[in-house]
Amino acid sequence: MAYPYRHDREVRVMSEAFGDPAARTLEGWKARGGYQGIARALEIGRAATVDEVKASGLRGRGGAGFPTGVKWSFMPREQNPGRPHYLLCNADESEPGTFKDREIIRWTPHQLVEGCLIGAYAIGAAHCYIYLRGEFFEATGVLAQALEEAYAAGLAGPDVLGSGVQIDLTLHVGAGAYICGEETGLMNSLEGRRGEPRIKPPFPAAAGAFGMPTTINNVETLAAVPGILRHGGEWYRQWGTEKSPGTKLFCVSGHVSRPGNYELPLGFPMMDLIEDVCGGIPGGKALKAVIPGGSSVPIMSADECESCELCYEGVAAAGSMLGCASVIVMDETADIVKQVRRMADFYAHESCGQCTPCREGTAWASRILRRIEEGRGKPDDLDTLLQISDQMTGTTICVLSDSLAAPIVSAIEKFRDEFLALIRRGERVGAA
Amino acid sequence: MPDNGRSPAGAATVTLTIDDREVTVPKGTSLLEAAALQGTALPHYCYHPGLSAPAQCRICLVEVEGAPKLQPSCVTMAQDGQVVKTDSPEALKMRKGVLEFYLVNHPLDCPICDMSGECKLQDYVFAEGREHGRGREPKRVFGRDDFGGDVLYYGDRCVMCTRCVRFMDEVARDSRLTVVERGSRAVIDTFFDEGLEGASFAGNVVDICPVGALVSKDFLHKARAWDLDSTPSVCPGCSQGCNIELHTRDNLVQRLKPRENAEVNGHWMCDFGRANYEGLNRGGRLEAPAAGRGAKRRPAGWDEALGQLFARLQAAAGADVKIVGSAEWSCEGLAALAAVGAETGEVSARVFRSRCAADEDRLPGFPALARRRDLAPNVDGARTLGFSRVGGEDAAGGLEEVAAHDGVLFVLGDDLADQEAAFGEAASLFVYMGAHGSEAAANADFVLPVTTFAEQEGTFVNVQQRVQRFWPGLRAPGEARPAWLVLGALLAALRGGEAAPASAAAAFSWLAGERAAFAGLSYEGLGAEGAPLAAPAGGNGAA
Amino acid sequence: MSEAPFRNPGWAGNTGEFDLAEADVRGVVASDGPPADGGHPSVAPSLPYMLAAKDPAAPLFEGPHLERFEKIKSRYPTARAALLPALNLAQELRGFLSPETMDEVAALLGLSNAYVRGVATFYTMYNKRPVGRFLVQVCTNISCNLRGAEDVLAAFLAHAGTELGETSEDGTFTVVEAECLAACGFPTCVQINSRYFEDVGPADVPGIVDRLQGELQSGAAV
Repeated sequence: MAYPYRHDREVRVMSEAFGDPAARTLEGWKARGGYQGIARALEIGRAATVDEVKASGLRGRGGAGFPTGVKWSFMPREQNPGRPHYLLCNADESEPGTFKDREIIRWTPHQLVEGCLIGAYAIGAAHCYIYLRGEFFEATGVLAQALEEAYAAGLAGPDVLGSGVQIDLTLHVGAGAYICGEETGLMNSLEGRRGEPRIKPPFPAAAGAFGMPTTINNVETLAAVPGILRHGGEWYRQWGTEKSPGTKLFCVSGHVSRPGNYELPLGFPMMDLIEDVCGGIPGGKALKAVIPGGSSVPIMSADECESCELCYEGVAAAGSMLGCASVIVMDETADIVKQVRRMADFYAHESCGQCTPCREGTAWASRILRRIEEGRGKPDDLDTLLQISDQMTGTTICVLSDSLAAPIVSAIEKFRDEFLALIRRGERVGAA
Repeated sequence: MPDNGRSPAGAATVTLTIDDREVTVPKGTSLLEAAALQGTALPHYCYHPGLSAPAQCRICLVEVEGAPKLQPSCVTMAQDGQVVKTDSPEALKMRKGVLEFYLVNHPLDCPICDMSGECKLQDYVFAEGREHGRGREPKRVFGRDDFGGDVLYYGDRCVMCTRCVRFMDEVARDSRLTVVERGSRAVIDTFFDEGLEGASFAGNVVDICPVGALVSKDFLHKARAWDLDSTPSVCPGCSQGCNIELHTRDNLVQRLKPRENAEVNGHWMCDFGRANYEGLNRGGRLEAPAAGRGAKRRPAGWDEALGQLFARLQAAAGADVKIVGSAEWSCEGLAALAAVGAETGEVSARVFRSRCAADEDRLPGFPALARRRDLAPNVDGARTLGFSRVGGEDAAGGLEEVAAHDGVLFVLGDDLADQEAAFGEAASLFVYMGAHGSEAAANADFVLPVTTFAEQEGTFVNVQQRVQRFWPGLRAPGEARPAWLVLGALLAALRGGEAAPASAAAAFSWLAGERAAFAGLSYEGLGAEGAPLAAPAGGNGAA
Repeated sequence: MSEAPFRNPGWAGNTGEFDLAEADVRGVVASDGPPADGGHPSVAPSLPYMLAAKDPAAPLFEGPHLERFEKIKSRYPTARAALLPALNLAQELRGFLSPETMDEVAALLGLSNAYVRGVATFYTMYNKRPVGRFLVQVCTNISCNLRGAEDVLAAFLAHAGTELGETSEDGTFTVVEAECLAACGFPTCVQINSRYFEDVGPADVPGIVDRLQGELQSGAAV
């Protein structure tokens, strides 16, 4: 994040002001070039704004990596009477290992406000709800101050920058549910319901929040937009790869000397991130495994990390997913079985409970893993785990249960010996 | 409300292939419904034709060619040219997997579960489940929760299909049920101790529960599902005429269940009607015909009694006739009674008495259905056949003139509970036909045991002026016979040897010929769901 | 506030590359306490609701809080959408959501009380029973777990003098295990009421507990 550590190899497009309290104020942000993006958007018009973001190749930073400009173009061109459009900003950051959105919000709140204004303008929305994770009281307070300033300065409200365009922003805070980070779960939660994901179709662009055409973008996605509008889509493409243009915040946690967020061009080598940017593994220990994209993606073994490039296609080629670029590093002391069990506990705790495979599967997997961890496993438990992982992949409304299946399956495939060692030790103790 | 795939005639259709067979269905039909039309029953829990479909149980997954993953058939709409496989290896594997997940925590307490034998978890696991369980973990325990009213909740058995929550939200429009907590800790509950008390349609949540999670306190541990016989019938509770099934065992009605009729009651019925079956089991029945007033009364065989009665009616020709009918007796019986009266002499009164409630109790999400003010099933039939309502809302009084009548007096189905023993003392001829005896029948010259609607075939007319059939679910006691059979024989004799109807069908076709309101209707044509009267008498439909 | 500059834990501001005061890192809003009337309507639904001041008998809603409630409702096309912000406000005032509170909020928004219970129990931040003046939530999810979060949790239980999920006898601390708090780069992350304490190791726990006790005595607790 350029905070609390910096590194020479960073490209700080959106994170330069992290750690700089002066950038939080409207005045401070304007001095750093703020609100030029929305001014240009209003000048070039809605269609050209969408085109500019399309040209940048910006891909959604919430994990799925869908091209943002293309997503915006799914919205109806004109607003139908009685069918207002909504922009939702997903600030419900809760994927274990991910901690970038909170930094954007608390250090550069105006960057997000401006991104929301541009996004809302681009999709023809007069109202943008920023759905913030309930726990983010402090960051939300910073954002609230920025919003008060933006309203007072006429940047938000009935007449944005004197253009006659109305864009209202509202901060809405959650109340503790991982699943509200799923876009349709978030919509239900915003509407005052249990945050249970909805069946698609209908897709949000047709019927989203309050049944109206809706686009939902992640905080980091929207925060990248002001720069793109200000400098142009081509400018953004100078970084990154053909398929993954631009820069991205990499959240590095676990066993590294300098954990934190680093803004790097997509395609950055994973081992350079760990060993160079993050100062390597403390105590000279060996790398054991990396989870490259937040807890829901397959675990990578140290070998797989060797030549992995951190872009959407690069991590996919290495057998995992970039997700939201939440790199969790585990050294040789990490207990894989315990950590997979902890993830299973998490998904079981956070399952909304609608779909049977998820409601029952996550809880069952967590109990089997707990039993193995405690030395009471049986050899066929691993087959059972693999099969129930299969049974909870692709069978539910959202992908929460798939998100547990991925780490379980990859951990058993790549670290089978650790599971078997616990099972065998348990059997020996039991026999004695 | 989903429309059950029904579309107006001429609406667009789509043709698709399900399991290698082509099927054409109306546009807007789900794959689950299309498969059902084609004869393939796909398993499902959360889907219910009377409710919205959340597609959350994931047991109706099918393979759709071109789709990247299995699709929930309950919300995937049939499209032209679609190729669907309900039994592909992938679909079967995933459904087997979903069933295994259910059994991770579902208790195997089938021996003491009321739902056993009609439980969809039993059925589906039997059909498609794994042969051996793999669960080693102890099962989750929630225990039992009294929801108030007649409803008991066994959380451990719950499959979280949320049908009950959606019924209360969408149909009863009384959101008293909710999912509490989330994930595998979730259960169905009310607002703490508030319960379902006073929710007058809550019993439906027991019917739609696919497993034994919601059970009826009244029916608890009363009978095994496989010991029950089921007979299509019409609820006798009010003039709505909800289509029901009588569930009987040992010649007693054990419970009533709603039977689907899109025009009348959808899938539902009210708790008042549901609780009213006890009357059908009431003992102390008249079992044999008897003749003679007061102390002179002697048992008589049917031939003897009817022979004597025929002679008395012939002798009374031209007399002033008063008739007391009942809105709980069939149209055929009431029509035959009216006709016998008319053949005998001048009919100066044709009346019935029935209880009335202070107001209606409508089901907001299915507004055609209400517990009506008239608390008898054939009020509209009786009116159509020329009977007028007398007496109070408690079905008492109003018979002063009848009681003192000095001509011919017929009573059918009204047990005269509020009347004095002197009732009919002055009558020249007093015929009492009923299911139960009466102290006010002491002066009757003939006491004839007739069957209740639950023991015979016949029709009622409901508040929508809809003629609906019912079937016998109980054996008649002793020598009791349907009123139409008894009166039909008398009528035939009075009319000089006309053929008496020998079946309910014949009685109905006689009625259709006799009464203009019933003209054009055929007994077969009424089927299980009934049909509107040819000429609506009251003109007030379902409102 | 304690006198000496507060070292990590608390925020990750002194890594050698930044020199920031605590208020710089946290932003000042939370420590000032939320404006009762909610401020600008656009931010009225977002104010902190995990606060030390807890009055189970506080009215729903009166004066500036009623004003805030009206502002909240004005930001949504449906009354239902105001449910979470209304529950937040109710919890801010009363400290937890009792059945009576759920019932009152349901009536204010024209929703069934069972529905409100269903929603309230879906979300973990709603306290369904009273909690201590400080609700200590220790993340034990993967990133913190790898760096010893379970020891931090044990330290809090020991120093706060309570069992997991329970409240200390003096009513000051409730300690629970939390899922990922999105501060994985600064393990272990602990949320205490509305504040994040980051980079917490077991050795830091006594200092944090002392600080909170001090805040309580000086009336500065948030």
